[in-house]
Amino acid sequence: MGRPLDESNLIGRAKRGDTHAYEELVYAHQGIAFRTAYLIAGNAADAEEAAQDGFVKAWRALARFRDGAPFRPWLLQIVANEARNRRRSVGRRAHLALRAATEETSGDAAPSPEASLLSAEVRQTLLAAVNELPEDQRTVIALRFFVGLSEAEVAETLSLPTGTVKSRSARALERLRESYD
Amino acid sequence: MTELERALVALGRELDFPPEPDLRSRVRERIERRPRYRRALVPALALLVALGIALAVPEARSAILRFFHIGAVTIERVETLPPGRERPLTAGLGPALSLHDAEARSGVALVLTRPRPQRFYAQPGLIATLLQYRGKPVLVAELQGDQMGIAKKLAGAATRVEVARIGSFGLWLEGGRHLLIWEAGPGEVRQIEPRLAGNVLIWTEGDRTFRLEGGLNKGQMLELARQITR
Repeated sequence: MGRPLDESNLIGRAKRGDTHAYEELVYAHQGIAFRTAYLIAGNAADAEEAAQDGFVKAWRALARFRDGAPFRPWLLQIVANEARNRRRSVGRRAHLALRAATEETSGDAAPSPEASLLSAEVRQTLLAAVNELPEDQRTVIALRFFVGLSEAEVAETLSLPTGTVKSRSARALERLRESYD
Repeated sequence: MTELERALVALGRELDFPPEPDLRSRVRERIERRPRYRRALVPALALLVALGIALAVPEARSAILRFFHIGAVTIERVETLPPGRERPLTAGLGPALSLHDAEARSGVALVLTRPRPQRFYAQPGLIATLLQYRGKPVLVAELQGDQMGIAKKLAGAATRVEVARIGSFGLWLEGGRHLLIWEAGPGEVRQIEPRLAGNVLIWTEGDRTFRLEGGLNKGQMLELARQITR
């Protein structure tokens, strides 16, 4: 297998109409796009549709994408818009739950170092507290810590000023600290 | 990173996200559909030419134009207009944005190259801006062609509707009281408050629908339109 082409090269080729290059970009970002859409849309079917439509719209808007700008938050902003439209129409939100396997205490595989930081009880309590956050705060926390976006990426994805993301994040962490400590 | 933040990262790795779908083939199929769409335009254009001839005949026009789609716009002739009032041209289109933000929000890459204003408006599938042309404000909106139902025009009986020679197919609406309703997109229940609309030129070009609205006459509007899609 050859070395993967760097992203700016793929974007450049995609801008010139190379659908195979764009397919590589879809492959690289479809996981994070789907998770972002799922957290906003509230269910897997809408998230899949939102991610797919987002990729198609991003392709059509690619000519306007600024060379050298980060591709991921630009793409996620389009996907998030698609997801938001779907969620608004049905007024629901994703209920986050733990994987069944993580609730078991035995198994062949050793737990990850991060997972071993948390007891099953702490995990459940913390997750319940996250699920009870107001929607705007929960989305920021979920994108920041569960999807792994930076604060700047969260701001661009949600079309919010960075200051708003910081304040929502701070308020949410304050609430969560009450459950965690 | 605080202990709580590390705990949240750890929690994120234990969450039960649905399996991630492989979107590559479906996205590729959709983005490669365009050339086939263009080939399909040839018979569609023939149909539109025939329709254009029919529209030039007043009796046929009144029958045909009770309900009509042009690109992403629906025109419906009704007996009684729903309530609506005069509002600014950009009413309901959201806050003014930079071009970059408007394109990201709408998912539509702006075709308009000149004149190039600084402020833009966006809804999913729609990007708009306000121009000054011949001393009058004109709302320029571009709509993605597969977003049927984004905008709906309800025309009263006094509104004149004519074929306009621009793009693949164009229509000119002038006079009387006619109403504009922006809808946010398919499956989107949110509807922006209807408003009374000015003179309007609508035309399609490829998979894009263009819409100009303002106080210009047909000749002036066509003049501006040809600068946009030249």
